[in-house]
Amino acid sequence: MISTRVLIAAGIALALVVGIGAVFFASSDPDGLDSTALVTQGQKELTQPANPGAAVDGAALPGTFEYSAPFAEYTLGGSKLADAGLMAAGTLLALIAVLGIGRGLKAFNRSRSS
Amino acid sequence: MHIPDSFLPIPQAVVYWLIALVFIALALRWVRKEMSEEKVPLVAVLAAGVFALQAFNIPVMMGTSGHLLGGALVAIVLGSPFAAVFVLSLVLIVQGVLFGDGGLTTMGANIINMGVIGGFVGYYGYYGLLSLTKSRFASAAGAAWLACIIPALAAALELTAAGTFPLVPGLIGMGIYHALIGVVEAAITAVVLGLIVSARPDILERVEGAPT
Repeated sequence: MISTRVLIAAGIALALVVGIGAVFFASSDPDGLDSTALVTQGQKELTQPANPGAAVDGAALPGTFEYSAPFAEYTLGGSKLADAGLMAAGTLLALIAVLGIGRGLKAFNRSRSS
Repeated sequence: MHIPDSFLPIPQAVVYWLIALVFIALALRWVRKEMSEEKVPLVAVLAAGVFALQAFNIPVMMGTSGHLLGGALVAIVLGSPFAAVFVLSLVLIVQGVLFGDGGLTTMGANIINMGVIGGFVGYYGYYGLLSLTKSRFASAAGAAWLACIIPALAAALELTAAGTFPLVPGLIGMGIYHALIGVVEAAITAVVLGLIVSARPDILERVEGAPT
């Protein structure tokens, strides 16, 4: 049985490998939601790949809101290496967010009970 | 399965946000009162893993790809559906705000689908199947498959209510594609569970001994 410290370190390393690997090896095919949208918009047959150049029409609904994320599509728009760094940063940010909020809530609980 | 902003009108998105906030509040209460302090780093590592795996799309046939959702995995490993709500909420916030993966107004719906429905179906599906099969890995795989397809069908219904998808084609498309993607979800969940059990069997034994 490995120690908690080793388990955590191995988990972080594995997450970083997967996250960085996604930049180089992830499929560019549309996901299930986008594929369904393409089917309902007549740009894809259910069991076939999407038509060449097909893109989900995201402006179909009135009264919706649009937000431009700073790193949309998980890319900086430059080299794959830069995108790998971005994915690594995102992976670590998810870790830090949960660690910070989790620790903060436990500390809050301790201060209330003491 | 991240619904973008343009797929839900704002009034409906607000309703989903309000429902999601109730579950987020319950999840934060679970973290504060129920979760042991030594589990916080493990939860954080699972969040990093879910973030990375959600970015790694794998082709699943029919010109479609899919990725792990993670609700079942987190709920099973940490022994509570609220763990999935907590982890998926924070992962979806990072993805939506920084990377545009899922919208901001639709984040409530995404939290409901992947965190709440995925977490609860994954958790109770696991214990239901475990009582039938007595196999930890078969139960985790089955629960993960259900925790992929049921949120997808829920999303199809939400998008039908929004007028984005017609009902039957939406349900058929989301159902078929996520039945395939669910196989990926099931495999990854069983493999990760296997890695955790082989490295630290005590983690799962503790939560299985006291399901909440």
